[in-house]
Amino acid sequence: MSRPSARKPATKGEYIETDSGNKVSRRSAITGTANITLGGRTVIMADVHLRGDLHPTRPVPSSSGKEVTPTSISIGRCTVISTGSVIKPPSRISRGQVHYYPMKIGDNVFVGPHCAVSAISISSHVHIASHVTIHAFAIVKENVKILPHTVVPANMVIPSGSVVGGRPARVVGEVGEGWGVSGGGAGGGLGVGGGGEEKWVEGGDLRELVRSIK
Amino acid sequence: MAQPFPYTYYACDCFDSNTAASASRAAQTPADDEDARTFDPRSPRSNYALYPLEHLLYCEDCQQIRCPRCVIEETLNWYCPSCLFEVPSSVVKSDGNRCTRNCYNCPVCTSPMTVSSLEKPTEPSATGGPYILACPYCHWSTVEIGIEFEKHTGITNQLSRIANGGKTLPTQKERDKERERRKEAEARGGIGGRDILSGSEDSPTRDGEGNAAPPGHDDIFSNLSAFYKAQMQAQTPSNPFSPHDLNFSSPSTYSRIMNLYSSTASKKQKREKPALMREAASALEGLALHDPASDIAAIERIKKEGWASTLSPARKLAQLNPHVRFDSELRPTASLLCTKRGKRCRSCRHILSKPESKITSTRYKIKLLALNHIPRLSLRALSPATTTTTPGPSHPPFNYNALRPGIPIHFLLHLSNPLFDPIRVTLATPSTTPGAIASRITILCPQFDVGANTDVWDDALSSSLSPIAKRSGDAQFEAGKIYDRGRNWTAVVLEVVPGFVTPLGGKRDEADGDVKGGGEVDADLLEIPVFVRIEFEADVSVEERGLGDSRGSKGEKERREEAFWTVLGAGRIVDV
Repeated sequence: MSRPSARKPATKGEYIETDSGNKVSRRSAITGTANITLGGRTVIMADVHLRGDLHPTRPVPSSSGKEVTPTSISIGRCTVISTGSVIKPPSRISRGQVHYYPMKIGDNVFVGPHCAVSAISISSHVHIASHVTIHAFAIVKENVKILPHTVVPANMVIPSGSVVGGRPARVVGEVGEGWGVSGGGAGGGLGVGGGGEEKWVEGGDLRELVRSIK
Repeated sequence: MAQPFPYTYYACDCFDSNTAASASRAAQTPADDEDARTFDPRSPRSNYALYPLEHLLYCEDCQQIRCPRCVIEETLNWYCPSCLFEVPSSVVKSDGNRCTRNCYNCPVCTSPMTVSSLEKPTEPSATGGPYILACPYCHWSTVEIGIEFEKHTGITNQLSRIANGGKTLPTQKERDKERERRKEAEARGGIGGRDILSGSEDSPTRDGEGNAAPPGHDDIFSNLSAFYKAQMQAQTPSNPFSPHDLNFSSPSTYSRIMNLYSSTASKKQKREKPALMREAASALEGLALHDPASDIAAIERIKKEGWASTLSPARKLAQLNPHVRFDSELRPTASLLCTKRGKRCRSCRHILSKPESKITSTRYKIKLLALNHIPRLSLRALSPATTTTTPGPSHPPFNYNALRPGIPIHFLLHLSNPLFDPIRVTLATPSTTPGAIASRITILCPQFDVGANTDVWDDALSSSLSPIAKRSGDAQFEAGKIYDRGRNWTAVVLEVVPGFVTPLGGKRDEADGDVKGGGEVDADLLEIPVFVRIEFEADVSVEERGLGDSRGSKGEKERREEAFWTVLGAGRIVDV
């Protein structure tokens, strides 16, 4: 599945930075790169597996007759995919055939370590803690916090502003009004939710976090 | 919701705002009284006073923090969390707070259910059906209770007409009709009540249908409500004073109102007491007699199928009919509606937060956050890894869950100022933490200034205002000096000596078991109560806008202060 990690050269940095500021770890496993779009300033950490090869196979009717590359994973800006997570587009068996559907991840989304994400859409300002499983075709709306070790069942819709947890996931609370608002202005305090050590808050602007990853 | 260490909770003092203690505090109590009132994060009351800063609002008129307990919520609209459709309030009133579309939750695991087709590829049907509701998580489906649907839409409608096992349920109208018919038959035939009670009486047209099964929950309810309605109508004759039907449903209320309106002369005549309402006397009137046979049947069933076929309390309570016992009686539960709510200050009724009413919108029209008025305190360990400029991978991250007792730990308390005025901060903390394990706490610099939250560029342009102390070894550890500061933040050092879980010199084996710290839950938790008092000078004109004569004194500064308790969760102390 993943490339041997021993190949990592010691002299080069951990991350390859693209023109738009995306940081992709050399130790990440990305398949089907042509089908993946990253919005910019997005971080793909080590041992992350992006399954871009699982793209929609249905013929896309294009007027010009040109081959259009189907998109399977599109990720927005300032999104962080932490180590060991697997992003796999959702699939459905229809008439005996497996069909993959394109998945979309918004801006400022934090996906914690060791998650398995198959959601059809994740909106912006979503914080996904570690070891979370999101099954196929789940929809996560904006400003959602998913607690650690949660299993979101297939086809679940998580309304915006909710905190979900449990197996299966259920809405256990609401994020406060101050969700994602970093206090003290730019360059201000240490985040409260992010463990207190980082200059970012859960659900907030992750630019600072992205900048700090080297 | 447990937060990872280190965390900061802010105490809203609304829980004791109407007690004598706070009243005396407002009037500058003597020092000893103040001392006695040290905030105790372990007191059971604190559970209701401590909130993370994100959950707090700030009332600018009262100049106070407002927690979820001291705001009034008003519902703006209802929506289904699953299909995200708005439900008008009239529908909520008539149909209850559940989604009437196709949104159902699994009665076993609460996961949202999906409509799936049972169509066989070999013999496709015209509608693509039959359909079932299936749970993608635990694989429970309505097949297990014998329910299949013809269409994939309008599940609520279809489900209301199908009983478990696939039998059709009568609608409300059909129920009413059937009841009338039975009543007539009863009156005509003169059959005694006993037959009706046992349910053996039946019309010739519907032979054998209601015979075996006792009347269901819905049947009893509809019978009973019809009976009460009839009783009510019999009690209240046509009313000359209010031709429209007022909602005084009880006869006694009605008669009281009548007495108020009627003249004193006619009072004597009207005084006669209304006849007592009689209770339901037959099955048609909603009387349900307990049948011991059903108990025996239930016991037999448990004997045969075991406990596995019965429902857990959580599943039972999630059902619409809370009297179900077996898993064959489960029904999919329609998903509960959510609300969008605006919040008002409880004391001055000003709006503190008001979201946009559109369901899909996440923006707020008004949002007065405590984050913008209260300095944010954050704690972190000052371990060697964080003091060095390049934290190498050789340093393991500080383990907040294993604080070693007896060894001083330095924490960095970082305080950032969201206000546009510089603030003067005074911190206070009890010398030892309350609770079974007394840890010693020292704030090395309890009084300091924090700069204003000005534009980032101001700082960059005026290079003369450089940070006074740069990290250069252990120099900042001395008392009375701040550790580091920036544009609108200041960091001070907090020295903590965690107490011993097992008392020194005490017998180890006594406390070694699950009884830690005298059996107190979370006794090993190191939570530091810190009292924060900030002073600053704010523009009067901004705050007192529209309060009369303040217009003339524009630009005048007003001295203001803010004081509140916070609790810093520093970690857990390990037993050595």
